[in-house]
Amino acid sequence: MTLEELCRQIPLEVRTAARKLGAEVTGGYASDLLSCVMAKAQEGNVWVTLQSHPNIVAVASLLNLAGIIITEGMAPDAATVEKAEQQGIPILMTHLTTFTVVGRLFELGVRRVD
Amino acid sequence: MADWSDCMRELSLHILDALENSMEAGATSIELTIDEDLIADRLTITVGDNGRGMSETELARVFDPFFTTRSTRHVGLGIPLFKAAAERCNGGLTISSQLGEGTTLEAAFQHSHIDRAPLGDMTGTLLAVILSGSSGDLHYLHRVDGREFEFNTADIRAELEEVPLTHPAVRKWLQALIAAEEEELGRFASPSLLNSRKESS
Repeated sequence: MTLEELCRQIPLEVRTAARKLGAEVTGGYASDLLSCVMAKAQEGNVWVTLQSHPNIVAVASLLNLAGIIITEGMAPDAATVEKAEQQGIPILMTHLTTFTVVGRLFELGVRRVD
Repeated sequence: MADWSDCMRELSLHILDALENSMEAGATSIELTIDEDLIADRLTITVGDNGRGMSETELARVFDPFFTTRSTRHVGLGIPLFKAAAERCNGGLTISSQLGEGTTLEAAFQHSHIDRAPLGDMTGTLLAVILSGSSGDLHYLHRVDGREFEFNTADIRAELEEVPLTHPAVRKWLQALIAAEEEELGRFASPSLLNSRKESS
């Protein structure tokens, strides 16, 4: 499943790095604590969070995540958008809650093998 | 009252909650200091007031989320959440209080800690308090290493004479002043992860 397909099916609004949506998603991780994400998320994962400050881009970039889904209608800060474009990290937005998004990811076959 | 889901995202929501506690304690003078010491890697938020203060029993209850949410309307869940946020970032939160004298809250964070939320919208937070119609005064000091932004509404009131702080022109001027100064300071204290890390592309 690619990010592009996820955007269509969940659905998600593409906020940054539209050019990077072809990447295959290897699994997912959900947390609002960046330290947990650093410890557990894996390369190619999609990360579901309601954090929107610029550090999320640094984390995603460091771990080579496929992209970040920001839930509950939170808009990323201007600095976050700028960094994400620079680093080529797709930020996808939705009004759905993290719980619902993760549920849909599971239904679509994006699962994390713990 | 703050929207709790935002507390995870911005420290300013915790600060607003602490300031509201001070106002509800009848404080006529509140001192808010935000000290960002990048060399010591420490962010310290201090809220001091001259409100009615708390007894030792009341003070103990402030840290009990089950008790405070049910019984003491003027405290709320805010302190336990603020404390948890600070402790998660190698810091802590302490409150000292004296009945009839006032209360001082101090929250400390490791500035560069990955889970430390950014300060967030300090302009909105300060304006909410200044324009709340409370007759109390706010002394604000925000320090980032050697740089400072400071104001005291008592001085501004004295300067304005009869014109209230809530006058549209004053409000607009305050908003612009605080936003500009906070933005300037923010430039020197921006999120640590992006600063400490080389651009990869």
